[in-house]
Amino acid sequence: MKIVTILKQVPDAEARVRSKDGTLDLSGATFVIDGMDEYGVEEALRIREGGADAEIVALAFGPKRTAEAIRTALAMGVDRAVHVLGDEPLDALATARVLAPLVRDEGADLVFVGGKQADWDSAALGPALAEALGWPHSDWTTSLTLGDGALEVIHDVDDGSETLTLPLPAVVTTQQGLNEPRYPTLPNIMKAKRKTLDTRALDEVAAAAGVSATSTTELRSAVIESRARRNVMIEGDAASAAAELVRRLRDEAKVL
Amino acid sequence: MTTSAPTPTAPTPATTSALQDFFELDALYTSEERLIRDSVREFVRGEILPEIGEWWQEGRFPADLPQKFGALGMLGVTIPEEYGGAGASATAYGLLNREIEYGDSGMRSFVSVQSSLVMYPIFAYGREALKREWLPRLASAEAIGCFGLTEPDAGSDPGNMRTRCRRVGDEWVLNGVKRWITSGSTAHVAVVWARDESEGTVRGFLVETDAGGFSALDIKTKASMRASVTSELYLDDVIVPEASRLEVQGLRGPLSCLNQARYGIAWGVLGAGFACLEEAAAYVEDRPVFGMPLAGKQLVQASLADMFSDLTKGSLLAYHLGRLKEQGKDTPARVSMAKRDNVRAALRAARAARDLLGGNGITTEYGAIRHMLNLETVSTYEGTDTVHTLVLGREITGHNAF
Ligand SMILES: Cc1cc2nc3c(=O)[nH]c(=O)nc-3n(C[C@H](O)[C@H](O)[C@H](O)COP(=O)(O)OP(=O)(O)OC[C@H]3O[C@@H](n4cnc5c(N)ncnc54)[C@H](O)[C@@H]3O)c2cc1C
Repeated sequence: MKIVTILKQVPDAEARVRSKDGTLDLSGATFVIDGMDEYGVEEALRIREGGADAEIVALAFGPKRTAEAIRTALAMGVDRAVHVLGDEPLDALATARVLAPLVRDEGADLVFVGGKQADWDSAALGPALAEALGWPHSDWTTSLTLGDGALEVIHDVDDGSETLTLPLPAVVTTQQGLNEPRYPTLPNIMKAKRKTLDTRALDEVAAAAGVSATSTTELRSAVIESRARRNVMIEGDAASAAAELVRRLRDEAKVL
Repeated sequence: MTTSAPTPTAPTPATTSALQDFFELDALYTSEERLIRDSVREFVRGEILPEIGEWWQEGRFPADLPQKFGALGMLGVTIPEEYGGAGASATAYGLLNREIEYGDSGMRSFVSVQSSLVMYPIFAYGREALKREWLPRLASAEAIGCFGLTEPDAGSDPGNMRTRCRRVGDEWVLNGVKRWITSGSTAHVAVVWARDESEGTVRGFLVETDAGGFSALDIKTKASMRASVTSELYLDDVIVPEASRLEVQGLRGPLSCLNQARYGIAWGVLGAGFACLEEAAAYVEDRPVFGMPLAGKQLVQASLADMFSDLTKGSLLAYHLGRLKEQGKDTPARVSMAKRDNVRAALRAARAARDLLGGNGITTEYGAIRHMLNLETVSTYEGTDTVHTLVLGREITGHNAF
């Protein structure tokens, strides 16, 4: 069988980003493979280690630096990768339109997508991809068993969880708890150098498939909430200062 | 014209990665080198940082840690794949040391000894059968190794060693005491250096620690490197087969191993230093004194600026030394300069961070004092600060002032 895992590169959760002139200033931020995508890679590897004869292909859209996230997946054990190179971000619908034909061309039986993209906090890519492919989809998936031509999954819903059976091919989006992704081992990082990373230009991919690579949503501005310190010193004796502190916490900060 | 008070804006301090890579060395690493660094960094964040304060306090090196290092392929990374290594570059090895020592110098010591002082001499001087037998097992940490050069009465002058070897037929008999041996009591094999009784030359052997007459005792009273095993080794008529003798003669043998480990230390200490800088920078931002964060005080900034400069320059030195090493140009004097000066930079940074943290700085709740005390060992082992100074002095003047 063939498993495709969709990857996105996002700023490290510990990175500090700034906003400048209505856009994000990402200089100085480090980028990593999205943690939710790592669950997908790990699950694909476990399916193979569980005895399935599977080829695992990573598929990613993004700027040049995305190759680093792809290398991480190759080092974890993915067999080869396709990188659709595009400098400007695309919204989830446009990304799904561009990636769907590639997934189909690969002849994938199963596609993993991160449950939520850490950068824009969007959970739309998985469902959008399933929609573009016309395949069944399980979101927020926490457990997965591969049967004969079908997949049994447990996924989170608002009040608990559901168990579903999906016929293959299918799209699965990940949820925390699906597994514990491995660290890429150093020898495997070195071996990954010899694996194939096929880079294709966004325009060519879109043109070949006859789809539009234009976002429907338009980003007007981005602002980062910053909390300034007030550095207030409350004057007075202990009792009145305490009373004033309580008043501020209750009436101004509204934390009491 | 009216003046209004400026609206307070949040200060935007440099990001962690911007601090650690002020001169954009990142772009000069290969993508494999960056991935190796990132993978080790994740490992250290997940497996070492949450526990290290406690291990250090308890004076404990966790017994399951070597296997975790091995599973990730962190041991002997520059050794070729066919012997169980990763075949990675010297720079990758440097980055690995730096990331591990960001966690703790004791953890890095383990990796240095296993990689540079045990696997390296087996790889460089061991016969093929010995390499095949031991390198893969050492890479996975199925076997742990130690390196016995220093003795109670021979530290900076290893040529003065008293441990003796004597050939008897196809075997060698070893006698002597080694002191300050990292991983000594947990090791399965020891690289032991001894003087040939008849020929007077120094020889190296791979000694299996379950051999008769071999024993080890831990040194328990350390106030430094507490999360690392340090032992004394006793060799009492230990028999070693000729096949386990390393094919090198004279002090060149052990010194060539030390050159590898010292190179790793020049990188490693930067990790400890940056951990201290980051900790101090975050602490002073959160600590109000006299009505404002400590971070707004000039003398505090001066202290941080010194740490930042020292460690950044050390990073440039380590990087360039790595690339020279990849071309075989890591002369001992170059390595001495990098080891000496980077240890000094890290030690100064650790002491400054310890100071900026005030009372909190003396507890192991924070890393500064642990790093500071560990770095006292790093300043002493693998050639003391003075020894490296004398190497540099000899380089300039040609006079041997040892
Ligand atoms: C935690 C720890 C782990 C260690 N691990 C290992 C290990 O795994 N394997 C191993 O073989 N060794 C190991 N060592 C030993 C270490 O390498 C030695 O301690 C070091 O070489 C210094 O030797 P010494 O302690 O005998 O000090 P000495 O050589 O006695 O030095 C004492 C002082 O004299 C100074 N000095 C020496 N020569 C001169 C000179 N010519 N002129 C002026 N001053 C001089 C030194 O700089 C130092 O300040 C370890 C040490 C420690 C503390």
